[in-house]
Amino acid sequence: MSTLGEQLLHFVERLRAAGVRISVAETLDAMNAVALAGIEMARMREALSATLIKDEADHPVFDELFTAFFRPPGEKRDISRKRPGDRTSISPASARSPGESPETSQSPETPEPHRSDKPRKPGEERKSKTPAKERSAEDERTTPHSGEATGLRKEEPRAAGEEPTPGIEAGRIARLHAIERTPFARYSDLEYEQAREALGPLARRYRVRLGRRLRAAKAGRVDFRRTIRASIQRGGAFSDLRFRARRPRRVDLVVLADVSGSVRYSSTLMLELIAGALAHFRRVRSFVYVDRLAEADFEDGHLVTTPALDLYARSDFGRVLGELWERRGELLNRATVLVIMGDGRNNRRPARADLLREMARLCRAVVWLIPEEPERWGTGDSAIFQYAREISALLRSGNLREMEKALLEVA
Amino acid sequence: MQKIDQQFVSEGLKRARYITNERIETAIYLALALEKPLLIEGPAGSGKTEVAKVLAEMLQTELIRLQCYEGLDEARALYEWNYQKQLLRLQADEHRGLGWNEISEHLFSREYLLERPLLKAVAAHRKVVLLIDEIDKADEEFEAFLLELLSDFQVSIPELGTIRAVERPVVVLTSNRTRELSEALRRRCLHLFIDFPGIEQERRIIELKVPDLDARLAAEAARFVNALRKLGLKKPPSVAESLDWARALVRLGVSELNTDAVRATLGVLLKHEDDREKAEGKVAALVRRSG
Repeated sequence: MSTLGEQLLHFVERLRAAGVRISVAETLDAMNAVALAGIEMARMREALSATLIKDEADHPVFDELFTAFFRPPGEKRDISRKRPGDRTSISPASARSPGESPETSQSPETPEPHRSDKPRKPGEERKSKTPAKERSAEDERTTPHSGEATGLRKEEPRAAGEEPTPGIEAGRIARLHAIERTPFARYSDLEYEQAREALGPLARRYRVRLGRRLRAAKAGRVDFRRTIRASIQRGGAFSDLRFRARRPRRVDLVVLADVSGSVRYSSTLMLELIAGALAHFRRVRSFVYVDRLAEADFEDGHLVTTPALDLYARSDFGRVLGELWERRGELLNRATVLVIMGDGRNNRRPARADLLREMARLCRAVVWLIPEEPERWGTGDSAIFQYAREISALLRSGNLREMEKALLEVA
Repeated sequence: MQKIDQQFVSEGLKRARYITNERIETAIYLALALEKPLLIEGPAGSGKTEVAKVLAEMLQTELIRLQCYEGLDEARALYEWNYQKQLLRLQADEHRGLGWNEISEHLFSREYLLERPLLKAVAAHRKVVLLIDEIDKADEEFEAFLLELLSDFQVSIPELGTIRAVERPVVVLTSNRTRELSEALRRRCLHLFIDFPGIEQERRIIELKVPDLDARLAAEAARFVNALRKLGLKKPPSVAESLDWARALVRLGVSELNTDAVRATLGVLLKHEDDREKAEGKVAALVRRSG
């Protein structure tokens, strides 16, 4: 095997270690592609990207690794100035000096690498103040790699003072991808704000998926009128059965979200996500709780509760269940799906799981979304297993992606 | 058939007046050279479908388009028997006293077959470009069916036998990401993500497609549209919309970008009321920065 082939294999290995899924067939494609496109740096990069990277969200990882791996010999970049703990030492390796295999000491979880924002070196184009992940792949592409642009027309140099334009959509996808997978447990206000920003596209996707799911469930009884009509085309043979579109089986949603310290981020995000898809439910009543129940509403994107809640009170879900039970006549019926978001930590107060059992009898389903790691379920003051016995499903929703999936199950 | 090399691709793209970059050129070249389907993703209006059209123009061949939608099935995508015509034939044959064997021989011939886009592409006598547009809108079952077709380009029709492609068609799939495509499909395709063009690229596109627009104004327009896309709108303006806008500016005889001219024409770029409200307040600042 040629040394370039080995280099490519190493490169694929590194991509896999960084979490990109690449099949053997794709690796072969990549080798054929490089054989066709040549080893001129910019072309090889695009050839590898087209064959190995099938999801735009993986592009930041690819760009980072490619730059580090196939750096031209002339260009000396200080890659040690990375996020601490990202990766420590990568020896210079390039297509020009094969045989030199890269020593890696890279941790497998580098979901979103940052390029260093160091000042521009003389003779080195392109460096902007925008954060690395927002910098575009296109921007990267137009970088003339010193001494490498052999015989190929160079891109026109950018006009002085014009900021490099990041790939707007690519940046958005990468941000959404990263925040979707960040566990709620690691959220601070910063992540929460990022998640709020990402919620727009996420909510649109959720609406589309929910709508599609509901439509898919529509196929109902045979529609005789339309079947007979269709059969005329077939000379009267009923070869083509037509079905009556079943009326969308919309549910009444009663949402109960814990907004105490530990789970407030996931709860607010869930309420906001559901608020964006109201049209797909027959009726939605949203409540939040800490130690008492309060109706929740969104005004200009801010959560408003009536009556006001003391967010620093000690959680008491048992009491909340009691309050809900008193309003059962108004809220719960056979079409209701009760969705609860919380960690089931009750400060060792009475769990009142018996009330939940009664409610489950009244409703179509009771679904509990839990943001906690499974290892922590049932530990300490968690009463989650007591509740879990009485409900239809306990769904893990540790990050935005899992939450969306869990909410799709609900409808 | 021309020899396909990188020069052929870059010149062909230039001839077809498609402003492109290294990434798009390389992906198109590889799709042609490796004979693999090309999956193109990217925001609406960034020129995904255009790639297929340009490819057809470049190869001087036919473009066969399959527009995907929910509920698209084999009968609409692959082939269907023309029942009406078969019935007429049956009625016409009735009085001639033919046996079933003779009748069925005619009834199930190519004459009574309605070729849908996929079969058309496979059965074509020369290399064609097959565009499978918005594959994310089709159902997952259809995607699975497509996988089979894309791997060996042959179609089995029980009554007729297997039809194999003489020349593998060039396949372009586009997706708007309303649903995640399956890993299997992604693995079989080359992947290309076309983002909104950068300022410089967009300026060149505007200059090429709207030559009546003053060059300075074209640059300003490109910067303005780019800034607009960064506002986080519901539906950021597409390239087609910025071209429409450039044409509108020409028609209105606008000689320099100012707040009034932009406000009057904002409807060409933004189609959502929320987006317009969001952008209107920032028009003055954006214009100042674009000038």
